[in-house]
Amino acid sequence: MMATVTAAGAVPALQAALAAEDAAVFGYGVAGAHLSGSSQSAATQDWIRHNEARDILSAMISALGATPVAALAFYRLPFAVDNAASAAALAAYLEDGVTRAYLGLVAVRDQRLRTFGALAMQVCAQCAAFWRGSTQAFPGLEP
Amino acid sequence: MLASAAALPVLLATASCRSQDVFTGPDPLAGPPRPAPDVITLQAVIAAEQGMIQLYRAAIGGDRAAPRARGLEPLLAEHQQHLARLRARLIVPPGAPATPAAQASSQAQGSSSPSSGAAGAGGAGGAARGRVTTARLRAAERGSAAGLVRRLGTVEPALAQLFASIAASDATHVTALGG
Repeated sequence: MMATVTAAGAVPALQAALAAEDAAVFGYGVAGAHLSGSSQSAATQDWIRHNEARDILSAMISALGATPVAALAFYRLPFAVDNAASAAALAAYLEDGVTRAYLGLVAVRDQRLRTFGALAMQVCAQCAAFWRGSTQAFPGLEP
Repeated sequence: MLASAAALPVLLATASCRSQDVFTGPDPLAGPPRPAPDVITLQAVIAAEQGMIQLYRAAIGGDRAAPRARGLEPLLAEHQQHLARLRARLIVPPGAPATPAAQASSQAQGSSSPSSGAAGAGGAGGAARGRVTTARLRAAERGSAAGLVRRLGTVEPALAQLFASIAASDATHVTALGG
């Protein structure tokens, strides 16, 4: 679908989004272990969504003739995650990070990539609001 | 001296002098330059954001302590932040109309594509008319987010990022409103 995209900066922006998705997949694995009930179900759904996004981004990068960045074996967590509250905070943190990464795609020249990034931002921002329990005025941007 | 000054218009006329020939920059006699496309877009988005704020104010009404109003206040505050950030991107030259957004709103209505946000999608235009239900707010937020995304391809990158961020915020409002 994106094979014809030649906009400068598209590949680095896609790679950054992919790296953020990889980190989110890892992070949700940690968060899910400390959640239960409906929260754990929500985390599982988000984990699946980030996995799917990772596959889509990898395919887009490959279509542009580049090699998708590989996921790391381990990611350093931003804070200790040892209960449901910190797990929810981690989930919000992860969604914020992915939102920021997709914001980079909105700055590339190609309109389809901008739209793709913006719509992905909306999903991540909604999930961040779910986990945080509140909305933000400028998801992905500095307040 | 007087004679030469009096002869100047004749000389200019015979030489077919126009101000464009004299100055290499913008023609100072042609009035203010037309706003750049980004400016027109930004003015339209500002107008839509103002419409959204009016819609929320109408929904909250006079009883800010009511449970529904308490839930809407944080969303209204975020829209006010959107408006402030959008306005900060617009440098209004001295002597320009104080409310360019109103002008932009009328321009946006004349365009073939839907307006950027609430004014064209969810009914924030004419916000004070009728009871503002939660469903109406939700539709306005949804329309605002979609309208901003539609504008991404026509603006410079930094402005596109601001629009995308505001659209994401609007999307979270849809969820907060039960959508």
